[in-house]
Amino acid sequence: MTTESIVHSFIFSSDMIKLFLKISIYLILILLSLELLIRAFHLYPEDSPRFIDEMGVEKRIPNYRGYSVTGNRRQNFSEYHINNQGFNSYREFTPSYTKQELAIIGDSYIQGFHQNYYNSIGKKIENRTNGLEVYEYGYAGWDLADQLHLLHAYSDDFDKIDHIVIYLKYPMDLGRATYKPNTTRIKQLNSTLFKIRNKIKLLYYASQIGFLDPVKNLLLEKQDAKKISDNNQEALSDTLYIANFNQLIASYPINKSKTSLLLDKRKTSIEFLNHCEKNGIDVIDFGSKFEKSKKPVTLIYDMHWNNNGRNLVAKSIIEHLGL
Amino acid sequence: MLFNSVEYLIFLPLVFILYWIVAKFNNLKVQNGLILTASYIFYGLWDWRFLFLILASTIVDYFVGLAIHKKQSQGDKGKLFLWLSILFNVSLLGFFKYYNFFVDAFVDMVLLFGYPIKSTWTLSIILPVGISFYTFQTMSYSLDIYFKRIKPTHNFLDFATFVAFFPQLVAGPIERASNLLGQITNKRSFKYEQAVEGLKLILWGLFKKMVIADGIAPMVDDIFANYDTMPASSLVLGVSLFSFQVYGDFSGYSDIAIGTAKLFGIELMSNFKFPNFSRNVAEYWQRWHISLSTWFRHYLYIPLGGSRVSKIKSIRNICIIFLVSGFWHGANWTFIFWGGFHALAYIPVFLMGRNTLYKNNVVAENSLFPSLKEIGQLFATFTIVTFSRIFFRSESLTDSFVFIKRLFTEFNWEPYQHPMGYRMVDYFVLLAVFVLYEFRMRRDERNPFKFKSPIVRFIAYTLVIFSILLFYDDGVDRSFIYFQF
Repeated sequence: MTTESIVHSFIFSSDMIKLFLKISIYLILILLSLELLIRAFHLYPEDSPRFIDEMGVEKRIPNYRGYSVTGNRRQNFSEYHINNQGFNSYREFTPSYTKQELAIIGDSYIQGFHQNYYNSIGKKIENRTNGLEVYEYGYAGWDLADQLHLLHAYSDDFDKIDHIVIYLKYPMDLGRATYKPNTTRIKQLNSTLFKIRNKIKLLYYASQIGFLDPVKNLLLEKQDAKKISDNNQEALSDTLYIANFNQLIASYPINKSKTSLLLDKRKTSIEFLNHCEKNGIDVIDFGSKFEKSKKPVTLIYDMHWNNNGRNLVAKSIIEHLGL
Repeated sequence: MLFNSVEYLIFLPLVFILYWIVAKFNNLKVQNGLILTASYIFYGLWDWRFLFLILASTIVDYFVGLAIHKKQSQGDKGKLFLWLSILFNVSLLGFFKYYNFFVDAFVDMVLLFGYPIKSTWTLSIILPVGISFYTFQTMSYSLDIYFKRIKPTHNFLDFATFVAFFPQLVAGPIERASNLLGQITNKRSFKYEQAVEGLKLILWGLFKKMVIADGIAPMVDDIFANYDTMPASSLVLGVSLFSFQVYGDFSGYSDIAIGTAKLFGIELMSNFKFPNFSRNVAEYWQRWHISLSTWFRHYLYIPLGGSRVSKIKSIRNICIIFLVSGFWHGANWTFIFWGGFHALAYIPVFLMGRNTLYKNNVVAENSLFPSLKEIGQLFATFTIVTFSRIFFRSESLTDSFVFIKRLFTEFNWEPYQHPMGYRMVDYFVLLAVFVLYEFRMRRDERNPFKFKSPIVRFIAYTLVIFSILLFYDDGVDRSFIYFQF
């Protein structure tokens, strides 16, 4: 029985051909219809393109508008606006010595794609103060190294700003002691595969809700097993995190008189807090306000701050800095 | 391997293509050999060690079948061999499923008489998936030969394929040799219409499992895990949702099994016929897990005398089959209570002579909508059946009784919030559409997309797949509820 004879006899079953043909046609038409439905109901997220600028800072490509969508059935839907400086904000950043300004630097919590850009923490602070301009330098995935590098790279701008608040998630943001731009991630995001994913909204949506995870898991099973064994090291200790912090501060000195760390004291180690106090680093705690709040402070399906959480963070900053 | 897994998405088309290539050469042995190998791979990917149990059950009943037939041709009934089959299969079940239960029950009983003993006899045993299903299937083979309903097969390969046929191996439908074995021993030819029906059933089954059952699962789990803090309104919601979950889960599995078998040119028996549209408890049992309820009817209820004995004995027989049926589901008193509750609900229907009243018709038989009386009947039956599920779903009897107590005492109204924060209204709309659609197809459970217009059919397929995408939640455990039985 040769391969040719098998294929020949199989192919010449007209009913079988009919079945495969119909399945293929239906599949194509259904996929097209699903693509249309996903687009019509805007279930897909729109990730704004990223790049690394001439100063080595990873940011978004300026002047881009879009919608951030979380979860299946559009559980969270919000609009973002990338300004001229490459950050999600309702305003342009034009620091000067004549105005009163506050800069908030942080990761996705400050970037605020999970809220409408015109209802951000910065906007909430501006609404509660007089004449203050708030610049939100938020970028998903940033850690302290990224944040301090930004301060250093744009030192001319930050010199003009009156207050600088750095959002710090202890210990995740202290995992490294030196800054190195993540060119691999940018390359990956600009790869053809990712570009195709971004173009095909059905694929983007399915990938975002985890529908394609079983396929990924099946393909990456072996690699994951290796990763798990590699990561099977002891958790880093406070000493190491504090050492990383010290090295970063030494590499990128900060102006302690106008810089504060924004953090949740409940989730931060006492050793680190004592270390900050000893070194004269100001700390703004929003954890106590979160603890007292009777309403939830985070989105339930996504642990970013909800409107109530953002209000409380804004209040904490205003009260602490006496704005 | 789960029906709703990527592995199955690769496995099924591969086996399908190979199967029909082999069929081209008119070699039934190779075709059945392929199905048997595929079935063992399907099961072995979960745990290959338990394949030996299937093989043991297959070997025993194969030889028992031949021996009973031989004895019968010599004028003997072959009872001894029948008992051998029953003893072997029940022992398998008894050891893997009920051993620890009996040990614990014994310890509790001794304690009741004031003799506390520290049990060291319980064993850490994994329950082999599908054991309750395939042991019942092999036993039915020997019983059918004993009752002279069928003749034994001399072909071991055919018999092994009948026992291990992968679409129905782990959760049924529990097939009878008279239906399935006959198809396995005969040549199958590819029929386009049958394959299309199979694909439609698979799609509908996936919808019931991935959208209805898996969509509801987080709420049911949350309510039953925190029932001691929930108001009655949430408990009613939880147990009602569980009714839909278990139906979507199990009937979804059966649809995929029946649909898959159709792709291989084999017709399995129906397992569900819209039990939510039953007008009394007796009708419910004619529509729910049909392959199991008819098993008990044929091999236990009727041999005990069924309803052709005195009223008292008939009631005894009803109690026996419901209690045994409850116990079949699991080694826990909750299942026995669940069975007992159904016996109590069934007996009045039986005494009023209404147990076969709706056997051959459906609700709103000749009309578009049910009458007010029928709506009342549907609601009452759904309520009774749903109430019984408190026992079915609870971890222990204590949990069940506390749940029931709270149902009648905690009347403070509080809107229930989805544990993941999802909109509740989405699920209510989903269930309403599902119930209405099932009502529309209530006459034919094997034809879920019965639309004349190909455009409407296409829209229905698209919407079903779209809803799978809409309600997909990657945090949900995707295994089937009936795997634990």
